[in-house]
Amino acid sequence: MESKSYNPFNMAQAQFDKVAEMLDLEAGVRDLLREPMREYHFTIPVRMDDGAVRVFKGFRVQHNDARGPAKGGIRFHPLETIDMVRALSMWMTWKCSVVDIPLGGGKGGVVCDPHHLSAREQEQICRGWVRQIARNVGPVQDVPAPDVMTNSQHMLWMLDEYETIHNGRFPGFITGKPVGMGGSLGRTEATGYGLIYTLREALKEHEVDISRTSASVQGFGNVAQHAIRLYDHLGGKVVAIACWDQSDKTSYTFRKKGGIDLKELLDITDKFGGIDKNKARDSGYEVLPGDAWLEQEVDILIPAALENQINRDNAGKINPRVRFIAEGANGPTTPEADEVIKKNGIFVIPDFLANAGGVTCSYFEQVQCNMNYFWEKQDVLDKLDSKMTSAFSAVSELAKRKKLYMRDAAYVIAIDRVAQAVKARSWV
Amino acid sequence: MEPKNLPTDQVLVVLRERAKELNCLYQVEEVLAGEEVPLPGIFNALIRTIPSGWQYPDICRARIVYRDQSYQDEDYVPTAWRDSAEIREEDELVGSLEVSYTREVPGVDDGFFLLKERKLIKTIADRIGQTIFHRKLKRLLHEWETASRDLAEKKNREWMVITELVRRTDEKLYLHISRKMIYYLFWNGVGEARQFLGKFGGEFVKNEPEPEFDANSPSFKQSREKLIEISDQVFSIAARNLSDNEILQCLQKWIHENKISFLIKTIDSGGTALSAIIDAILRYRAIAGDRMVLAPSTEKWLRVSLIRRFFSDTIEFINIAKRHLEVSDFFDLVTRIIFHAGSNGKLGGKSSGLLLARHILLKQPDEEGLFAGIKVPRTWYITADSISEFLRHNDLEDINEQKYKDPEQVRIDYPNIIQLFKNSHFSSEIVKGLSMALDDFGDKPIIVRSSSLLEDRVGTAFSGKYKSLFLANQGPKQKRLSALLDAIAEVYASVFGPDPIIYRAEQGLLDLHEEMGIMIQEVVGTRVGPYFFPAFAGIAFSNNEFRWSPRLRREDGLIRMVPGMGTRAVDRVSNDYPVLVSPGQPALRVNVSPDEIRHYSPSWIDVINLETNCFETISVIDLLRTYGEEIPAVHQIVSIYRDGHISRPSGFDIDFKSGDLLVTFEGIITRTTFIRRVRSILTALENGFGMPVDIEFASDGVDFYLLQCRPQNTGEDSAPSPIPRDIPEDRTLFTARRYISGGRVPDITHVVWVNPRKYGEMESLEMLTDVGRAIGRLNAVLPKRQFILMGPGRWGSRGDIKLGVQVSYSDINNTAVLIEISMKRGTYSPELSFGTHFFQDLAETGIRYIPLYPDDRDVVYNELFFTGSRNMLPDILPEYAHIADTLKVIDIPGRMGGKILKILLNAELGESIGYFDEPEAAAESSIVRPRPHEAHGEEYWRWRLHMAEQIAGQVDASRFGVRAVYLIGSTANATAGPDSDIDLLFHVDGTREQREALSVWLEGWSLSLSEMNYLRTGYRSHGLLDVHMVTDRDIENRTSFAVKINAVTDPARPLSMKRPAS
Repeated sequence: MESKSYNPFNMAQAQFDKVAEMLDLEAGVRDLLREPMREYHFTIPVRMDDGAVRVFKGFRVQHNDARGPAKGGIRFHPLETIDMVRALSMWMTWKCSVVDIPLGGGKGGVVCDPHHLSAREQEQICRGWVRQIARNVGPVQDVPAPDVMTNSQHMLWMLDEYETIHNGRFPGFITGKPVGMGGSLGRTEATGYGLIYTLREALKEHEVDISRTSASVQGFGNVAQHAIRLYDHLGGKVVAIACWDQSDKTSYTFRKKGGIDLKELLDITDKFGGIDKNKARDSGYEVLPGDAWLEQEVDILIPAALENQINRDNAGKINPRVRFIAEGANGPTTPEADEVIKKNGIFVIPDFLANAGGVTCSYFEQVQCNMNYFWEKQDVLDKLDSKMTSAFSAVSELAKRKKLYMRDAAYVIAIDRVAQAVKARSWV
Repeated sequence: MEPKNLPTDQVLVVLRERAKELNCLYQVEEVLAGEEVPLPGIFNALIRTIPSGWQYPDICRARIVYRDQSYQDEDYVPTAWRDSAEIREEDELVGSLEVSYTREVPGVDDGFFLLKERKLIKTIADRIGQTIFHRKLKRLLHEWETASRDLAEKKNREWMVITELVRRTDEKLYLHISRKMIYYLFWNGVGEARQFLGKFGGEFVKNEPEPEFDANSPSFKQSREKLIEISDQVFSIAARNLSDNEILQCLQKWIHENKISFLIKTIDSGGTALSAIIDAILRYRAIAGDRMVLAPSTEKWLRVSLIRRFFSDTIEFINIAKRHLEVSDFFDLVTRIIFHAGSNGKLGGKSSGLLLARHILLKQPDEEGLFAGIKVPRTWYITADSISEFLRHNDLEDINEQKYKDPEQVRIDYPNIIQLFKNSHFSSEIVKGLSMALDDFGDKPIIVRSSSLLEDRVGTAFSGKYKSLFLANQGPKQKRLSALLDAIAEVYASVFGPDPIIYRAEQGLLDLHEEMGIMIQEVVGTRVGPYFFPAFAGIAFSNNEFRWSPRLRREDGLIRMVPGMGTRAVDRVSNDYPVLVSPGQPALRVNVSPDEIRHYSPSWIDVINLETNCFETISVIDLLRTYGEEIPAVHQIVSIYRDGHISRPSGFDIDFKSGDLLVTFEGIITRTTFIRRVRSILTALENGFGMPVDIEFASDGVDFYLLQCRPQNTGEDSAPSPIPRDIPEDRTLFTARRYISGGRVPDITHVVWVNPRKYGEMESLEMLTDVGRAIGRLNAVLPKRQFILMGPGRWGSRGDIKLGVQVSYSDINNTAVLIEISMKRGTYSPELSFGTHFFQDLAETGIRYIPLYPDDRDVVYNELFFTGSRNMLPDILPEYAHIADTLKVIDIPGRMGGKILKILLNAELGESIGYFDEPEAAAESSIVRPRPHEAHGEEYWRWRLHMAEQIAGQVDASRFGVRAVYLIGSTANATAGPDSDIDLLFHVDGTREQREALSVWLEGWSLSLSEMNYLRTGYRSHGLLDVHMVTDRDIENRTSFAVKINAVTDPARPLSMKRPAS
């Protein structure tokens, strides 16, 4: 029974098998890459605020570190399963590989729900986690980062414990730290800008003048805002934005055919990323239903909000003029929608590549930490541009050459690079 | 004679005379206040002062006769032009005051003295008498004390010194104590006393001594001397039978009791005017000061009398209050009561609760210093019966019948009543009192709160039903006074507003007499820019009915706090959130990740604008940007959000201009004693009141102020519901016994159930996400708040989708209850989320959360009902038919023969049950108290049905191309409440133009019905109709609402039309 049901690790393996087949990988390479190289399971006893002791389960999975130290987040989740962590660690390997940064893939977590824990108890969990695995992680072995329900505070607790144990300062042990405590500038912009760098390259390749394009964006959070800023700066015209309205508990699309004014909209945006619809109307925006963003007559769609937004139900409503989809969100397109998009010849920059600006910036954070020398923001963004540009070119070139769908090409290139690395090291 | 009837020069004369009189009185008071000056000195000073108050002071002379001594100027001659008044000490005539003109003066007012002058001489004489009496008491007390001190040193039968002293100075008292003594001896079985009583009993005991002003009657004089003699014998008996110490103690007690007997006599007599009581209390304070001078039983009697008089007759309240209040606690109170002549003095529930709470806290042992700093804002009170006086005064008594009118009429009348009240007049006593109050408040903003008599009834929840009004209280006094009168009139009017009347009707309180006291309280806060507001304020509960973690216990309590005025914490406001803390476990927060903290931090703040004199709601961030530096304790209130990291600001260096500032109260919570203090207060008050309480508080950034305290009102929607024990298992859907809050959800028509086992077995991510998406669609289609969602694990789980259905708040915001099912997998049960992903949204909208543990012993989980019922999902959402195995929609009335699902929750028992029952509109339920819209439940849907029939009957079928009209939803299945839509389904076959015309026609209906519904129920909506149109093709394809036509369950109900289109 259990084996029949949805299992994220089985799914990740199936996806790998498919690509491995295309790459015609040797059996040994497949066997190695299908499984994590190392898994750590351990317990973390914590004295709770009420004096009782509770024992939490911790994990760290290092899927592959052939290309460099493992990299991946630490999740605090009450129903964490090892299969979920395995799947995510494998995806991290591919993700680092697709942008060609010298890092491998890892993931970890603790089975707990921070909602039911005090800050002190969470600190004890973080420190306990590090104590259990301090010898097997580090700047040159495995570099954790924030993930589900963990944030920069947790990273600082972990870093402090690590540095205490190893008697020194090792800021490169962990990423996602606040600026001034070993964090990198440019982190806020990284994902949104990275998205537009790849879009810019895609347009260039299709010989489309960006200043003659228009786009419709779903979402108005951090990623969307920075993407719009850069796209606008490069001459593009955003005509519609869909975002959540906190008071009406629904989303609306704000449209101005002559192009939206980012600054004007930011001035009437609340902290939830919601735009004041009355003020928007006064400023000449049409307020349309939330899913109208998808139906706009534009060249580019940028889903930068939630997953599964382009699905079986609405993929047919995409305007025929749309030629590009740049996936800013994670998994915004369902497999069924992919089929429709493929059929209509729309060029997709897959999430995996398009939103890799975040992990690239984490890599920069680690590099800066290891040097103990921190770059100006512009340096970070310039380096990000060149990384994203070459990553895109490589994927797109392969897609063209092998006539692959972009999503497949991205996987192929990522897995191939890792396969090359394990072979070069003669592990198999 | 009134000045306005006189010519101008005369007016001046009269005014001058009055000024003179007043001046004279002030001087007299000043002389009398000279406590060290012996009486003759006082009298000599007075005779020099008094003439200045008379019309012709130069020729006016005064004389005081006291106990046969005369005090007068040398040239005093009693002429024909004189006036006099008696001087009395208590009831004894002791002398007189005279004024006399040395020569003739012009006659006025039927004599030679003005009316005012005649009054003045009496007033002065009275004051002299009172002063003499007061001095005598003081002297006695002093002598007594000296005597006791001496005794303590000598220990030698010296109580005799006392009796001797009393015998000499106060015969009345001497008789009193000797009588007490003989009883005392008698009760103690002293034989001599029995004989004594047998001998002299008749004359000694029964014979009340005559009043002393008859002292010149010779016959009485004899009997008095005899009585004194007998009394002397009593003490001889005492001396033989009791120890010196015992006698001394008795004497001490009785003498003191006698001194304050006037107070008891005054208060115990029900008919005494309030002014007399207040006078008596003040006199008592003057005598007793802070000393305890009464026997415990007498004190208790007095205490209860006072409590009954000012607070409440209810035995519950008296029982609590008498344990905590002392007579001296009334001293400050009585000087701040505003009342009309003849007022009975009741202050109302809110005032009583606050005063009681304050004194409970004052009497707490305070080792940690947590109670020391607690303040209560300066408060004045208007007695509750003043509203009746107000009505009488303005001939408005007819208005009392308002409560028996139709709710509709009440609502229409209400705005007029407000205006009428505002244009009415208050009696001069009230206006004078308020004027004094305003002088006391100065130009501090004030709040006028209602304090109703019905509010102190345990179990009624009048919070928010009556008005509270804020006043900026700025500008000239006349303007401030008229604003205050206006506000009181408006609060009075709110007694006749629709909401309280409907609420009282539903609670069966309509026939009880309602009166409304008023509390006028200084608003806590400071001025910041043009605004005035407290640094923070809120409400705290002994019991936490909204637990977001299983680790929280109910008794850990709950604090809802906001920046600025507490209004935003007391009421639920949409689009904004108060900060929630559980004082028992402050480290367990609702919001954990920086994003959650940011999302749920308060965005708005209520303030008083001192420049516009308005109560305003402004943006927190705008306020911080402009006036951040000036806000008290701001560094304890805000945190800084930067790059996903939240930190407390360091010291005072906050970047108000561009920092991303959030209100978190982190500093207040972690770095001050605030949380511990609230917890101690709640514990102390819960113990004191003997039941859970809720309090309102505010802080100006320095001090903690208690604003209100009452038995915990969990609100109508979360009061514990009695759990019926006799429901057979086949009529039970589930029972639960863990982490239950209070409340009831009575009319569920649909259950949406995610089969935990099948969900776990789903193979593809696509199908799993489809479950969430389908639920989002169902949320929009199913009748609002009449369906429940039940699913495995954690609703809204982020991360692993297998752990719970992936939904956002908008996908579930119409459900009545969110249920998480923790099915055992192998040996462990998955941990549930407690709705944490959108906890505050659930809490603010009143959506219930229930965790189910079907594998526990002693609980019911009727799996057969779920698996054995027909699934409506494929009918409603054919596009999701492929997940029908996992996701079930069950139509309860369809399945259970018209029954609906009723869910009752009881936090006291920690139990909940969901069972099938007749709809309450049809079957009068005796188990539970009706909720607001069930009392008239029938009425709501009948009216809607009638209106729907009217619409169908009047629609011009050929003009609009209408084939048929159907009724669906809550009106069709007779569950409509006061806020329900009328759902109509139109089968149309016309052109687009016809459909548009129909929409316009219906829009008119919709808005009119909405207005009518508002008048009937008070629920505002933008249009009452929810119209769906379907075509032949929809019916053929069975898309959307067309499935309802001829459906098996919950079918659309056809309405008859005037003339269907052919």
